[in-house]
Amino acid sequence: MSVARATRTAASGLSRSAVGHAVYAMLAVAAVVATATVRTDGYVANILMQAVTYAIAVFGLSVVLGLCGQINLAQAAFFALGAYAVALGTVDYDIPFFICLIAGMAIAFTSGGLLGLSTLRLGGHYLAMVTISFQQILTVVLINGIQLTHGPDGVGSIKRPDLFASSQAYLALAVAVLAVAGYLVWRVADTRLGRAMRAVRDNEIAASAAGIDVYRTKVVAFAICAMLGGLGGGLFAGGFTYVSPDQFAFSDSIVLLTMALLGGIASPVGSAIGTGLLILIPECLRFLKSVPGLYLAIYGLAVILIVVFMSDGIWGFIARIFRRPATVSPAPARPLVLRPADSGAAAALEVRGLAKYFGGLRAADGVDLTVRRGGVHALIGPNGSGKTTMLNVISGLYRPTAGRIIVDGVDVTALSAHRRTIAGLGRTFQNIRLFRSMTALENVVIGAERDGNTQVANDHVALEERAQAALDFVGLGERSSDLVRSFSYGHQRLVEIARALAGNPTVLLLDEPAAGLNSSEKKHLHDLLDRIAAQGLTILIIDHDMTLVAGVARHLTVLNFGRRIADGDTLDVLRNPDVAAAYLGAE
Amino acid sequence: MSLIEVKDLTVRYGEIEALRGVSFCVEKGQIVTLLGSNGAGKSTTLRAISGLNRPHSGSIVFDGQSIVGLGPEAIARLGIAQVPEGRRLFPGLTVLENIMLGASNRKASSAAIRREAEGMFELFPDIRPFVNSLAWTLSGGQQQMVAVARGLMAKPRLLLLDEPSLGLAPVIVQAVFRIIEEIRKRETTVLLVEQNARMALKVADWGYVLETGRLALGGAPKTLWSDARIRDAYLGGSQTKASA
Amino acid sequence: MGSVLQLLFTGLGIGAVYALVALGFVLIFRATNVVNFAQGEFSMVAAYLMVVFAVDLGWPYWLSFLLSLGGMAILGAIFNLGVYYPLRNRSFLPVIISTIGASIFLANTVLALYGPQPQVLPGWFDAPGIQLGQVYLDSQYLLIIAVTILLVAFQYWFFEHTLLGKKLQATSQDKEMAALLGIPVATMIMITFVYSAVLGGIAGILVAPVLFVSIQMGSTIALKAFAATIIGGFGDVAGAIVGGLALGIIETFGAAYISVPFKDAFAFLVLILFLAFRPQGLFGERVAEKA
Repeated sequence: MSVARATRTAASGLSRSAVGHAVYAMLAVAAVVATATVRTDGYVANILMQAVTYAIAVFGLSVVLGLCGQINLAQAAFFALGAYAVALGTVDYDIPFFICLIAGMAIAFTSGGLLGLSTLRLGGHYLAMVTISFQQILTVVLINGIQLTHGPDGVGSIKRPDLFASSQAYLALAVAVLAVAGYLVWRVADTRLGRAMRAVRDNEIAASAAGIDVYRTKVVAFAICAMLGGLGGGLFAGGFTYVSPDQFAFSDSIVLLTMALLGGIASPVGSAIGTGLLILIPECLRFLKSVPGLYLAIYGLAVILIVVFMSDGIWGFIARIFRRPATVSPAPARPLVLRPADSGAAAALEVRGLAKYFGGLRAADGVDLTVRRGGVHALIGPNGSGKTTMLNVISGLYRPTAGRIIVDGVDVTALSAHRRTIAGLGRTFQNIRLFRSMTALENVVIGAERDGNTQVANDHVALEERAQAALDFVGLGERSSDLVRSFSYGHQRLVEIARALAGNPTVLLLDEPAAGLNSSEKKHLHDLLDRIAAQGLTILIIDHDMTLVAGVARHLTVLNFGRRIADGDTLDVLRNPDVAAAYLGAE
Repeated sequence: MSLIEVKDLTVRYGEIEALRGVSFCVEKGQIVTLLGSNGAGKSTTLRAISGLNRPHSGSIVFDGQSIVGLGPEAIARLGIAQVPEGRRLFPGLTVLENIMLGASNRKASSAAIRREAEGMFELFPDIRPFVNSLAWTLSGGQQQMVAVARGLMAKPRLLLLDEPSLGLAPVIVQAVFRIIEEIRKRETTVLLVEQNARMALKVADWGYVLETGRLALGGAPKTLWSDARIRDAYLGGSQTKASA
Repeated sequence: MGSVLQLLFTGLGIGAVYALVALGFVLIFRATNVVNFAQGEFSMVAAYLMVVFAVDLGWPYWLSFLLSLGGMAILGAIFNLGVYYPLRNRSFLPVIISTIGASIFLANTVLALYGPQPQVLPGWFDAPGIQLGQVYLDSQYLLIIAVTILLVAFQYWFFEHTLLGKKLQATSQDKEMAALLGIPVATMIMITFVYSAVLGGIAGILVAPVLFVSIQMGSTIALKAFAATIIGGFGDVAGAIVGGLALGIIETFGAAYISVPFKDAFAFLVLILFLAFRPQGLFGERVAEKA
């Protein structure tokens, strides 16, 4: 599902500015004051109440689905958890309202987290099924667990807090909460967690290679979404002072989802728009509700049409038209410092007896590889010889069938991909894996903020400075605020390299960096590799362009049929008749 | 008139030009080989001919008819069959079933197709023991033979072979190339894409060498093989320097 | 002991229905990689069509049956063209959401056209069941089990012994390769959707006399069918059948020994547990390793 990429640039530019903050604060205060003072009749107040509480729940969806790209079809269930926490807490157990509200949020957060833990490793349609199941189970429990939940009769006479007992005051409270929640959701996109979520959404594998714990990020996003659902539900209960199971059915989860989609899932503004429209429009077209089913039938059709034709939602569409030109002037950065770790071990990277079998296919068969510290080492071989397999096993994308991988003296064989990045491995990909919704700077910042990066402090300014320095280093400093989608293929390659460099790796793995580049781009790449090596970094490169390889690499290892057939100084290896035979065909 | 003529073919993946203005032709009854290192554009050429990738510009004329813009099913029905890189047998189907499906480009009764499949086992006796085994259980070399048999079942006028030697041990490669020679005897025209230049030039009537999307060399097999530039195409300029 | 056998029989009967729906669902998934959340609605719509033809219009049962299945075939075709085809190259998320939208659209269109009152569909036979010792074999359940066996046998024959069946399998295993061989891929997918819709329809018509015909029956059956496919192993045809039967039995015993109102929750609980601890199900799915 494509998301409002443009919104993020505009919004992040805006969010950093004091003007943006001030405007938001003023609007929020105005809204709260207006609600508290302007008299509206009960009907309008009810609509507003529903819109506000639903919008909070939809904010949750904008986090898990919009930012993190994970589906949640049970938001009404989390809404229900919050609602029933407040209802049962105040009515049955006489617990003060705000404590119930917080408890509801905590319960929702925890159940969201548990649900996520159980299936986010699988993702996709598995996650959809689990969330639907959870929703259905909760509905069954609400209806049938009469001892606890009062069953289909619902719970009435829910007590509001004394300070906000009047409908007007309570509504103002809800609006205030909405404003705060909206602010937090708006800002989270620019935090480390928010960037991690967006990276996971855009490209899980790249996120993992950049040092992000993909699984944990997804679970957290899911839990936050659930928590916001619980918050909305709790406020809902207080607002209408009555809840019953039929208000929190699967169809309500779909309604919430449609609101998110319609407005544009990537931003809270979109959420608000979508919620507003989908509550107001039906009210205007109230006759639709007179025919049972017609309203929801149109909902269902709307979902299909929105997905097919307007996947960015209304706000995404608007944002694309009014996209602000990229505002630049990043701070003048100090030159990029690459200080690869050096434990004193002889080799920066050592691979012993590495084997990777796919069923009967022995892609790599007992390969030894020693990459000396500093300088460029190339791994070559004809198509199908196992080079990319080797790289993928070394970086943690595949589990080896046998063998060990040692980075700077530390055995990383048992570590997952993102942990290997933390241990000092950096890599680029043959099919470029950038985070396409983000700017070049954001992409590189994600590389810079990996755990264990000794070269940068963990504050935003320092991270951006380092990212800018990395982009300067590869020659793209001026375009740091541009979306990577707009870059040429060759430049995207460079951004990937900058992202890896920003993380100050000990060993840099480059997977066919010259693929798809024209000759002048290859020259630039050659030059860049020389400069990287000059800073003491160790590079392991796979490529087919022998001119480039012979030019940059001092050391070559040649694979054929998954086995090592030659290893040594570049020129010697290239003159080795076995190597020519491997490529051109044996005698 | 050539059986197939490719003129100024340019194919792009996004903004990368995988093929830039490539022109060549294949005469009826010949085996023509397209050589080059990985990433040179060999598979891209075959994909364009089979209709899997729409060219950005240029023409492909098969037996007098332009086939650019036709979908893969239509091109298969015109008599062009491809044995793709990596074999791509249907893993959940048996060897016999895979071979029988090779005749999907023409109308024929199930019984007739079964008989023709039988005929394939004459040509590939080594795979007869596996006739009812699931395709994924076979070794690489055996799978390659099944894939070629499947391709031949289409009774193609032009057979496209994409790197049949890929991942196969040298002994098996020799067996595969013996079969390619057999195919020529049956008067099927073959366009052979290969990385293994030595074996390919042994069976081919004519050869072309691709290098980063362009045609670098073309000529009779013996001439190509002794041309030092062919080694450059695979191993970079170091080869000419080394032999100098 | 008699009651155990009785529960077993009932469980098998209801499990057979889940198996049929699961089968249709797995076929679509294997051919298109789409998880069709509207699969249950196929069953529901067919049941309502039967009510219209056989009850409202009073036409003969067999004629109504054929007409309803004809309607399902048309629905399957429209579904393919309207919901799957425009999104066939997009990622899984839009497709999931789209099929959910379709499911809501179908359910509520029927609601709008027919009203919320659950309907009663008589069984095919008025004949009472057979008493076998301590076990009473209800005639409708016998019919369900018999038809399911026939359909599974038919499907096995069709996929394993006809060329068309092989072409369908090939399309689901490697679309591009199938196209290279000249197999008309779009037609194969159309056939898959039509067949799955008809399969779902048969399941709905079979189970309708046992439950009420209601708008919600579709989503309940579908979710149970999903649970069945997970239990059996996602994407595995035999797994769908075994999973369906297993789920029917688990559910029936659960209702009898634990609690009736919560029996619906069992299916979902089993689903979540399997996904958490054994996502590859009983038969496992061949998962590609390459990143």
